[in-house]
Amino acid sequence: MKITFDNSTLDLLPQGKGWSVLFEDKSLSVELLRADDRTLELLIDGKRVIAYVSSDNAKRWVTINGQTFVLTKGSGARKSGGGHHHAAGELTAPMPGQVRAVNVSEGDAVTKGQTLLVLEAMKMEIRIQAPMEGVVKSLLVKQGQTVEREQILVEIVDRLES
Amino acid sequence: MPQTQIQPINKILIANRGEIAIRILRACKELGIKTVAVYSEADKNSQHAQLADEAIHIGAASPQESYLNIEKIIGAAKQTDADAVHPGYGFLSENASFALAVESAGLKFIGPSADSIRAMGDKAESKIRMKKAGVPTVPGFEGLESESDFKKAAKEIGYPVLIKASAGGGGKGMRIVEEEAGLGEAIQSAAREALNSFGDSRLLVEKYIPNAHHIEFQVFGDQHGHLVHLFERECSVQRRHQKIIEETPSPLLTKELRAKMGEAAVNAARAVHYYNAGTIEFIFDPLRSTLREPQGGAFYFLEMNTRLQVEHPVTELTTGLDLVQWQIRVAAGEHFPYQQEQLTQRGHAIECRVYAEDPADRFLPSTGKLLQYIEPRGPGIRVDSGFRAGDEVTHFYDPLLAKLIVHAENKEVAIQKMQAALREFVVHGVVTNIDFMQAVLSHPDFANGKVSTKWVEDKFNWSPPAEPSFESLVAAALADLTIANRKSEIVNEHDPYSPWKIPNGFRN
Repeated sequence: MKITFDNSTLDLLPQGKGWSVLFEDKSLSVELLRADDRTLELLIDGKRVIAYVSSDNAKRWVTINGQTFVLTKGSGARKSGGGHHHAAGELTAPMPGQVRAVNVSEGDAVTKGQTLLVLEAMKMEIRIQAPMEGVVKSLLVKQGQTVEREQILVEIVDRLES
Repeated sequence: MPQTQIQPINKILIANRGEIAIRILRACKELGIKTVAVYSEADKNSQHAQLADEAIHIGAASPQESYLNIEKIIGAAKQTDADAVHPGYGFLSENASFALAVESAGLKFIGPSADSIRAMGDKAESKIRMKKAGVPTVPGFEGLESESDFKKAAKEIGYPVLIKASAGGGGKGMRIVEEEAGLGEAIQSAAREALNSFGDSRLLVEKYIPNAHHIEFQVFGDQHGHLVHLFERECSVQRRHQKIIEETPSPLLTKELRAKMGEAAVNAARAVHYYNAGTIEFIFDPLRSTLREPQGGAFYFLEMNTRLQVEHPVTELTTGLDLVQWQIRVAAGEHFPYQQEQLTQRGHAIECRVYAEDPADRFLPSTGKLLQYIEPRGPGIRVDSGFRAGDEVTHFYDPLLAKLIVHAENKEVAIQKMQAALREFVVHGVVTNIDFMQAVLSHPDFANGKVSTKWVEDKFNWSPPAEPSFESLVAAALADLTIANRKSEIVNEHDPYSPWKIPNGFRN
């Protein structure tokens, strides 16, 4: 069976007590020695590995030997790392906070660089500006609303698309 | 007025939250003092509220409604018959009106007098006082008007100089000028920015110190005029003007320089009749001290923090003193019993501040539910924290998750201990700076004391690995096959090989 996280696809084939894992041009044998709801003890090519794993919807948090990776389950369409993997016109909150001001409504024409929303978090004020000229296709937040990091706030589309 | 008699404290209200509230609670419990916690709406399930003998809800999540609300906090103290208030750090800890309001309500403020707080809170006033007290300040001039005045002043100080807004803060209205040719333009633009930001275009000019280190001295005094210093803390590893790693002793100080700076720190505190715990922050010029002037002299008063510091544990570990217990005891009128000669530093201590923030994305805070949270343990490891697995990290407050502090016989061993401890720290659900701090600790500049306050910004190039490790991919894949917690999963219907379609994917 194939499992994809970010851009990496693993192919797991049952073999003996465990699996043979195909990844890029490598093939390695993996055995699961022990598992509970947050820890896995694995044997990867004969080497013992302790992994802490948590699931949060499509996200997987994995810590091995003190290093933590945040993986997103799904097809390889998304770019790994950085977290800015939304479509060009979808503007997201760069940090969690509160919507201080909403300066546009759905259907409004906007110019490149225009301030659409103002967020406030931890005493910092962040202006959400239009990355291009276009039309507000959808406005997904209200003034005073609390938003999470990477939550989509507003979507701008090309005039032709709207 | 100095108190001549000890007035025992029976119940303390802690006007703070998170790790520092818990730190103070523990000191109270050890001293047999009852505790009152205050908490906001966002903190109703928090550990600090649960650990206290009593907990009072004081308002909405926003700090203005709760932890900064003087009236509500004093009301809570009266309601619970507390006889003293500990402000912790941040929030109201350096607010002279709060200290005054506490005293006016007949309660003890565990900290310095309102007058000391006020005197050190005003940057101009404190600089004048320090000059009078013979404490070195950064060479510079204030109250200049014309461009030619600035030119004359800058020439006297020597380039590079720093142009600063008198009313300034946060780097606004600040310009580094390398040579006279750039001075005129810098003055004009800084004045414009200062006017826009603070409604006040006054500027001052002072010596710019490249590669400056931040070295601070802990001072401690009782209400009977006895004042000592408890040595230094090197706090130069900073991002966005905020400290992330602190250590003591500083690798840059000789015995002579330490004594000289310690004396200056005590003089600075004495100039404002200081008692309780406080910190004198110095700007330190490593070039002047090591090359041209072996005896040093290259340290300048920056400011005084009239409260307990976040990084106080490194001082506690190397001096063997419990600073919070002593804060309470001297507030009750006790004498601080140690003379300067009796105080020593033993071994080396390092603190790493574990923040819920993303070093790969401008150190912006990260919020969420802590899916896993495992603190390291072992000899010489101390963790001051206010979170457990399952807790929410919200955007309302400082994103400090925990302070990890190690103590070892020397710096080399302390670094190794910290690296091992950080490797055992597991935090899932929010992005942390743990990997970033690991990289700082393993950099030779950190071991060699070459980290200045601009080092992270200017010299340290760090980015997380571009691709996840093979091992982490395998672990995530096998976890999906084995961990039962799958209810919230998104099933990819287009994938015929989806493990969700195989009822017994895990075979034993």
